[in-house]
Amino acid sequence: MELAMIETLRRLNRRIAMIVGAMLLLCATFILADIILRQIGTSFGGTDEISGYVMALATSWGMSFTLLELGHVRIDLFRGRVQSFGRALFDLFSMVVMTGVIVMIALKSWPVVERSLVNGSRANTPLETPLAWVQLPWFAGWLWFAIMSACVTFAALSLILKRRHAETESFAGAFAEQDTLQ
Amino acid sequence: MIPFVAVSLLGLLALSIPVGIVLFLLGFGVDTFFSAFPLTRGLGNMVWSASNSATLIAIPFFVLLGEILVRSGVATRTYAALDRWVSWLPGGLVHANIATATMFSATSGSSVATAATVATVAMPQAEKLGYDPKLFSGAIAAGGTLGIMIPPSINLIVYGFLTQSSIPQLFLAGLLPGLGLAVGFMAITAIICIVRPELGGTRRTFPFAQMLRALVDLLPIIVLFALIVGSIYRGWATPTEAAAVGVAGALAIAFAFGGVSRDMMAQSVIGTVKITSMIMLIVIGASFLNFTLASAGLGRELTAFLGGMGLSPLGTIMVVVVIYIVLGFFIETLSLMVVTIPIIVPLVVAQGYDPIWFGILMIVLIEMALITPPVGLNLYVVQAARKSGTLSEVMLGTIPYVITMLVMAMALIAFPQIALFLPEALK
Repeated sequence: MELAMIETLRRLNRRIAMIVGAMLLLCATFILADIILRQIGTSFGGTDEISGYVMALATSWGMSFTLLELGHVRIDLFRGRVQSFGRALFDLFSMVVMTGVIVMIALKSWPVVERSLVNGSRANTPLETPLAWVQLPWFAGWLWFAIMSACVTFAALSLILKRRHAETESFAGAFAEQDTLQ
Repeated sequence: MIPFVAVSLLGLLALSIPVGIVLFLLGFGVDTFFSAFPLTRGLGNMVWSASNSATLIAIPFFVLLGEILVRSGVATRTYAALDRWVSWLPGGLVHANIATATMFSATSGSSVATAATVATVAMPQAEKLGYDPKLFSGAIAAGGTLGIMIPPSINLIVYGFLTQSSIPQLFLAGLLPGLGLAVGFMAITAIICIVRPELGGTRRTFPFAQMLRALVDLLPIIVLFALIVGSIYRGWATPTEAAAVGVAGALAIAFAFGGVSRDMMAQSVIGTVKITSMIMLIVIGASFLNFTLASAGLGRELTAFLGGMGLSPLGTIMVVVVIYIVLGFFIETLSLMVVTIPIIVPLVVAQGYDPIWFGILMIVLIEMALITPPVGLNLYVVQAARKSGTLSEVMLGTIPYVITMLVMAMALIAFPQIALFLPEALK
């Protein structure tokens, strides 16, 4: 059951990653168009601002995909030297700590959004973008990441309790070597 | 505070907690134990302002550019073309390994992707032509490290972002040392193969007509490099915008070579998202740690610390070099760079050194980290592509190149102009 859940989450986050990637491509096209427009003396204006927003969203929504693909870098110094039960404990501990930190980030991100909502803050730029429009989805990305970390942590914990600790490596382990080849 | 941060940093990393998360934890620690104000309250704002950045969006663009080039088969053509041009040298194809890695560095920002590509293309040739597997694979691992030095470099963008130095100047400063390293790698290969010809495999020469035809395959990469770097220095585009130009250029090249497909684009795009988030978790963590350290009075403590040590500026740099070499055995490039910037850069700058120059020196030192065991990602990447032999062969093979890097580091310390000449000349 745990592994099936992880598989579903992987598929889901892969789809999210595709959307994020498409957004980045779109942003590159937009920047390119602006560079060309500038050569003929005009400009969309605000490409910098929009790039920043795209980056903030790409970052927060890409995190979970990287997590499920074991992409967040860990130093494999002692972990690699112990048996599979020991490795599973290392992985569980690191997931618990990670979940704690990400939940903290998500919690502390809410006041940023709340302030923009309450004050109706707008960016101090020519576009005067209402900040909440960007910060709300940005915050949702971190919240999603917190939920995903918690799911991975519970899946790992549950498998360890069932004495199936060898199976946690595929989704909570340190990097999968084939992936770094990409 | 400095000993607390240094010891906790190493301890938490050794527990295999993700590097980015360790940086946040250290930030919380500094806040709890050393700050008069509650700094964690600003966490949300820190995360927002570190990721809402038009500068950092250059990272996914440069990653994407590299992914497109690698997946569309441009690398294979480049390798074959360079083989025609450099295989007459003592050491033959080993030079093609280094030259291909150099050219890819000049367009993509990633070292691991470079090493993986060259390894996959080159390895089948090594056995066929009777090369020493150690030297051959060592050269690929080492050549791959150039990706973070020769502009455009993702690591230099991150360095510029965290230390608030000019990214175009960093790019210019990295050019000569990067090319110097490539030439140094080729020189040491030639010397080794002149002394011990049996390591060098078969030297081959090709008819001039074939060499000329091969140029066609090199042209796209050269044009792409000129497009990216040229548009920055002609003032048409910021480094970020140049990265977008590069993506378009890479796509055009891939189209021309018939390497674009739906599947290839999908793989490139999600590969980009994965690498970008990996980098960004670390970068955001480092921004937060930077902020807490600065607010808790790191500056004052550093001055006192340096006064107490009584080190000369040169002595400080030597200590810093040794620290990087030792940490480099265990920590990888970007992580090593980002976890040390908050402490080491203020310390070095306080001694009167130029932050641009130090950025380049630091890159040489973390390039070494990529190929020094037990943790050296390029070693594993090359070994994985070999499918035979042992990892220790790759490690032994990199030794001549590690020595070349050390020589470069010393040269940079003795003659800072190697890095600073271009940025000052073009100011």
